[in-house]
Amino acid sequence: MTKLVGGDGRTHITSTLMRESLQDRKVTAGTDSDRDVHIFPDAALVGIGGQSIFDRGKDAILPLVDEIAAVKAGGKHMVIGVGGGTRVRHTVSIALDLGLPVGGIAQLIGAMEELNASLLNTLLARHGSMPMQRDHFWDLPLYFASGILPIAISIPPYHLWEPPPDEGVLPMHGSDFGLFQLAEVLSMGQLIFVKDQDGLYDKDPAHHADARHIPHLTLEELLAAPPPTNILDEELFRAWASARNVRKVQIVNGLKPGMLSAALRGEPVGTVISKETP
Amino acid sequence: MSERKVIASALSGATLTGHDAGGIDYQPIAIMPDVRVVKIGGQSVMDRGRAALFPILDEIVAARREGIQVVVLVGGGTRARHIYSIASELEMPVGVMATLGKYIPMQNARMVQMLLAKHGGLYILPDDFEKLPLYLQLGCLPVMSGMPPFGYWEKREEGSRIPPHRTDAGVFLSAEFLGARRAIFIKDEEGLYTDDPKKNPAATHIPRISVAELTARDLPDLVVERVVVEYLPRARACKELQIVNGTRPGQVLAALRGEDAGTIIHA
Repeated sequence: MTKLVGGDGRTHITSTLMRESLQDRKVTAGTDSDRDVHIFPDAALVGIGGQSIFDRGKDAILPLVDEIAAVKAGGKHMVIGVGGGTRVRHTVSIALDLGLPVGGIAQLIGAMEELNASLLNTLLARHGSMPMQRDHFWDLPLYFASGILPIAISIPPYHLWEPPPDEGVLPMHGSDFGLFQLAEVLSMGQLIFVKDQDGLYDKDPAHHADARHIPHLTLEELLAAPPPTNILDEELFRAWASARNVRKVQIVNGLKPGMLSAALRGEPVGTVISKETP
Repeated sequence: MSERKVIASALSGATLTGHDAGGIDYQPIAIMPDVRVVKIGGQSVMDRGRAALFPILDEIVAARREGIQVVVLVGGGTRARHIYSIASELEMPVGVMATLGKYIPMQNARMVQMLLAKHGGLYILPDDFEKLPLYLQLGCLPVMSGMPPFGYWEKREEGSRIPPHRTDAGVFLSAEFLGARRAIFIKDEEGLYTDDPKKNPAATHIPRISVAELTARDLPDLVVERVVVEYLPRARACKELQIVNGTRPGQVLAALRGEDAGTIIHA
């Protein structure tokens, strides 16, 4: 029974957190449990790289559009997220030279992703795609039921409030992290990043002919020995370590026809990173 | 095979996944360094009602009349605790918790705006931040929720379902973006003591303490959100948190004038 409680000059509502400090670890521990309510466990989130796919133009984009349209026609529930690519890098390099604070830099990135979302939507619209504001995902049941493919930008809405980075000057919460958090909060069953290489390698394959492809590794292994060039945001892996719902992150090569479709069917193509610990 | 069409820039070859910033000489500028960013606590002030809030607003208006530019952010309080408690039972993901946590500070900010309207109080949203120069030059008092806009993108903190970035974080991050040296927190206590003054009459007030000293005490509870203490040492502009007692006449005005009062936690 809810009631109001006074006596200390404040008016409280009875609850398990009444009068408590939310900084007190003993108090916050009482809010935790070993699971989250699952929201869209059957849906897949597909992130399409800006630099790796969109910046290559027509030759890379059009085959991928055909592939996505075919998978969608098969009834797969998907959300597409897009990156910004080289225009983001140009923006950030100018903004850093100007001395803008990290929140100011973070605020600017989304616009460059919007351009790629617009391009992709223009190409996919006749197959039934729509742009989606990144936090409008309570519309997803409607989209899924009516066979609409939503396309959103990837960068998280930290905007001017981007926290100071733990090292260096770049915003920590990038596009890969943004997609990860979206998949995590919605407990989506699949999170697939479409890049221009087959996933992770023990050395940068662009510079080493003998680089060895890594088909599978665990998050724990990756955190213990990070690859020399990481093709996903470092913050994604840090956030994943204390996250709860995403069990698997897959990286596929969008320049190889059929690889994304295979991943969406659940096949272990590209690199699969799995989380072993709860 | 298709080639990447790249715009030449210092970062054109960068992955942006880590810390490499292409060797750019970064010299941060302060956006609006003279603005005072001040938080009115939810549980500590708003839930006390008129008796606590009115004298604080009088001092904020007095500071504004002196020409001091003030941005007011407001916390949540007991209604936030109530929704967090119920949502936790329902095992809501942290991103949903953070989104639920937005609404109560918004209500409180609207209450403060109504009270300040005759003195130029304006309710603003995060998207209005770029209009602050106009509002402040007109002599207005912008009021907004302290909650940062992370919402569904809030990260989970190990062992808790409470969003780690709440209104203290929003106040600190607002000050940091604007280039203000201090973030000011109005609570119902003077700040930090060597012990709980309600239980130990020998407890003494701590006027100034570093993050390192504060962390070394390894307190089970903290006066501000843990992320703020984590971020303070790596901030570029906002190197101090000032906690003042809004129930003590004169402390808020002193803090808004830039004077030392209450407790200052420094990087």
